[in-house]
Amino acid sequence: MNFVRKEKIIFVLMVSPALLLLSVFFIWPLFNSFWISFHTWPMFGKPKWVGLDNYIYTLNDPRFWETLKFTTIYTFTATPMLFIVALITALLCNVRTWGTTFFRAMYFLPVVLSFATASYIWLWLYSELYGIIIYVLELFGFGGPDKNLNVWTTPTSGLWAVNTMVTWKFSGIQMIILIAGLQAIRDDYNEASTLMGASRWQTIWHVTLPLLRPSIALCLILCIAGGYQAYEQFLIMTQGGPQGATRTILMHTTDMGFTWFKLGPAASVGIFVMVIIFVLTAIQLRLFKPH
Amino acid sequence: MKRFSSDWYWYYVINYTLVILIIFPIYWTFISSVKTPAELITSDPTYFPETWTWKYYFQIWNYDLSSTWQLSSDDYMRLETKSLKESIINFFIPNEKKSIGRAFWNSCFVSFGTILLTTIVCTFAGYALAILRGPFKNIIFLLIITPILFPGVSLLIPLYKILKDIGLLNNLYGLIFLHSTFMLPLGVFMMRNAFISIPSSLREVAILEGTSELQIILRVLLPLCIPGLLTVMVFAMYVSWNDYIFAYVFVTTGEREVLNVALAKIALGGNEFDMKWGSITAGSVISFIPIIIFYTFLQQYFVRGVTGSAVKE
Repeated sequence: MNFVRKEKIIFVLMVSPALLLLSVFFIWPLFNSFWISFHTWPMFGKPKWVGLDNYIYTLNDPRFWETLKFTTIYTFTATPMLFIVALITALLCNVRTWGTTFFRAMYFLPVVLSFATASYIWLWLYSELYGIIIYVLELFGFGGPDKNLNVWTTPTSGLWAVNTMVTWKFSGIQMIILIAGLQAIRDDYNEASTLMGASRWQTIWHVTLPLLRPSIALCLILCIAGGYQAYEQFLIMTQGGPQGATRTILMHTTDMGFTWFKLGPAASVGIFVMVIIFVLTAIQLRLFKPH
Repeated sequence: MKRFSSDWYWYYVINYTLVILIIFPIYWTFISSVKTPAELITSDPTYFPETWTWKYYFQIWNYDLSSTWQLSSDDYMRLETKSLKESIINFFIPNEKKSIGRAFWNSCFVSFGTILLTTIVCTFAGYALAILRGPFKNIIFLLIITPILFPGVSLLIPLYKILKDIGLLNNLYGLIFLHSTFMLPLGVFMMRNAFISIPSSLREVAILEGTSELQIILRVLLPLCIPGLLTVMVFAMYVSWNDYIFAYVFVTTGEREVLNVALAKIALGGNEFDMKWGSITAGSVISFIPIIIFYTFLQQYFVRGVTGSAVKE
């Protein structure tokens, strides 16, 4: 009896640091974020209950819709790019032969850099006058005779420039997930399909991809959830410009909160982001549900 | 399919092309950072530096470039003429408080703190949840892994308020706590699995011999959990070293800035100028060197940690 009690005490002692961290920096903020979003925050004096006013303010705010629209465009253009590159590299690395481990390590390498570092690197590659990418593009005749190609002048070219960087940086994770999925597929399926006279592409399209469904779902869920949390790549590379056309929803939140000190509306934007990510994840889980 | 048929030829051609494309930005950043200004700022780029210079590294390590874009000749001379001993001291103590050198050590401090705190907290929690009997065990476990469902960045506003209330705003310890909290789901999950996979007879024998619980963990069980422990540590380093948004929003004093945030000042300020591009490439190299060294030696743990956060079994 005494022994069991001692074990319980030790259990509580060992779990409490984790629970303490969790409650101070996760559970409390989570509830607090709802509380803040239902209050108004004057410069001086006490916060006041305003009900759903902050949510209504956010829904009537054109900047919210602009940034949400841009973030959605970014997410749904970057995701296919990432996924296709990841799928190609995964299929290339799934062959058991000399060098696969090396190739896999190299494809994964950019993942370990931070988004910020990757942005600095690519900022230099895209540099208006001396960047190597601009140099190569001009060799191929982009930019016209006066040679002043600058990818940051229009939102579209800026978006694709960032998308390229994100694909370079992030497709490694998706590749590893897809490889794990590919390795779980038994060789019999591929052999059977080859015996039945299917070409390699037919095998990939009709046998491999359908069996890869769970991994594909995981990749897409990650990509889309990550896309809505995009921040530093746009802060550093496009700086939200030109004319705020490439601002993401998270940049809107931080501006609201820490530049204009509208904490209530900012907290409500955070909750909207959370709900959007939840809904999109739920939709994908439904779409990719195994039969 | 024979080994050296044309199929394999194309296989290697495609793979090597992709590898070169993927490595090129990193290679280009490195060689740009050691080029002389005349070679760096040119419309006719060279693919290997003709003369090497470490000037940009010395400058950003020691001086706050966002305020002074050109160094005085005195400062310059002091950088050029240094003994080995002075250089080593300089490596640990940069000249100015708002320099990349200082930011580098801040980043190291936060990463090291996160690794330490995460390891301790996750080992204890993982051990308790895997082996000991206690109240609400399953509920506690579920609670600890919930944060994985929530995007941490959507909590920015309340976190700001809480850090301000408990006096950890603008403080590197605050960052350590935040990073460790968002490491908890993966860390506890990994450590719990590692402890479960060890046969329970080992612990029973140790108990019969009168070993205390803490000694059982440290001496008997933990040595068997090294792979799981390394995964947790490597991922803690990855999360902490690479974080941008928490550091950017919660730590704003110049001398406490971490590396990623300090570099932004160079990247966003100044003109198209050799000082800017030389410094930003040198800064990028400083920021990715530690993590690439870790990656070289602990590659499998990196892969497992980074993807393990996504793949839930």
